[in-house]
Amino acid sequence: MWRLLLLLVTVGGGVLQSTVVAVAGVGVVTPDVPLILTVLIALRHGPESGCLAGFVAGLLQDVTGGGLVGVQALTKGLAGFAMGLSVGRFWVGNPLVQVPGLVLLSVAEGLGRFLLLQLFHYPAAFGDLMLHVILPQALYNGLIGTLCILAEAGFELMRRRTWI
Amino acid sequence: MVLVSLVLLTVQTRGGGTGRAGELVAIAVTPVQSLLVRINRGAVGFWANYLDWKSVRRENTVLHGENERLRVQAMQVGETHEENARLRRLLTLRDRLPLATVAGEVIGREAGGWVRSLTVNRGRGDGIGQQTPVIVPDGLVGRVVQVHRGAAVIQLLNDPASTVGAVAQRTRTAGLVEGDAGGTLRFKFMARDGASVAPGDLVVTSGLGTLFPKGLPVGRVLRIEDKGSALFHFAVLTPAVDFSRVEEVLLVTGQTTQDVAGLFPTDG
Repeated sequence: MWRLLLLLVTVGGGVLQSTVVAVAGVGVVTPDVPLILTVLIALRHGPESGCLAGFVAGLLQDVTGGGLVGVQALTKGLAGFAMGLSVGRFWVGNPLVQVPGLVLLSVAEGLGRFLLLQLFHYPAAFGDLMLHVILPQALYNGLIGTLCILAEAGFELMRRRTWI
Repeated sequence: MVLVSLVLLTVQTRGGGTGRAGELVAIAVTPVQSLLVRINRGAVGFWANYLDWKSVRRENTVLHGENERLRVQAMQVGETHEENARLRRLLTLRDRLPLATVAGEVIGREAGGWVRSLTVNRGRGDGIGQQTPVIVPDGLVGRVVQVHRGAAVIQLLNDPASTVGAVAQRTRTAGLVEGDAGGTLRFKFMARDGASVAPGDLVVTSGLGTLFPKGLPVGRVLRIEDKGSALFHFAVLTPAVDFSRVEEVLLVTGQTTQDVAGLFPTDG
């Protein structure tokens, strides 16, 4: 049941990415909502759930986006797994580590995707991609991640007060 | 008291006034009367105000609701009006084009930068195939790269993997238009000698590859990047179509050898 809910959240994130997020970008930069959700799921439910969420989200993006099917499924699955493994290490429980961690993971996922796409002769230059896509998107992800963490903290605070 | 009353009545009927006693009573009573009248008026006014306030409040709530409803209606009317205008332009183009086309609605977008695409609600069942050109009244949008049963994925012109054969309309200088990671278009492989392409020039499809009809607007030259001694130079283009605002498209299912440039705006 819990896994099914996570799956629904992940699929919902993918749908959101191809509808609302695509038209709400800043310039040509849009956040990678499925990656953010993958990281949040991995942080709370461990590497297996993170890997599954990343794989499903990536596959959905590959299929709907028109790119090579499997590339994002692989990179996002690995990102979710790596984030899940880091739980309990490197002070990952601390929000002050989570946000920079999300930014770094976004950059790492971008680099991984670029290297993988090089096998298929992806034409974009690395410098252009880094400047216009990977770095701006990583920073945008960090911002959205911060808002998610703040919203979660606020929700938790309200829940505690209601209990008291 | 009965006796006092009778005495007073007798005195008055016999022609005598109430005299000083009456005046004294009047002096004592008048302020009390005025006060009572004021209190009465105040109470009546207060009650009337309360009733008014209550009805105004109810009316205000009703008006608020009505205002919200009208605002939503106005938004819907505006949206329908916009959609109507877009569809009218699309229909006009469709009627004038010497091509078989199918209209499609955008149902998804991928704008992350790695891949730039649109998903439309037309697929294999509507006669759409791989490489089908996609246009709007402003010009070329891209080509179909994936076809599903009821949907197709369109690779936008500014996708990093997109390449289209094109010419500058004024000078007939040939080249290739490619997308880049920054979301702009580059008109590449223009011969340096005699190109004389200038900012503002319209670049249209060349029609050489037989994939795209000839003369579809691709973009307008923004600036020329001159690489000194290089054999070719390239131009940065502003796309003819604002891809982020495309909501309905025409998928070109037929072929033509005609130049369709005259059917599209050329004044920018």
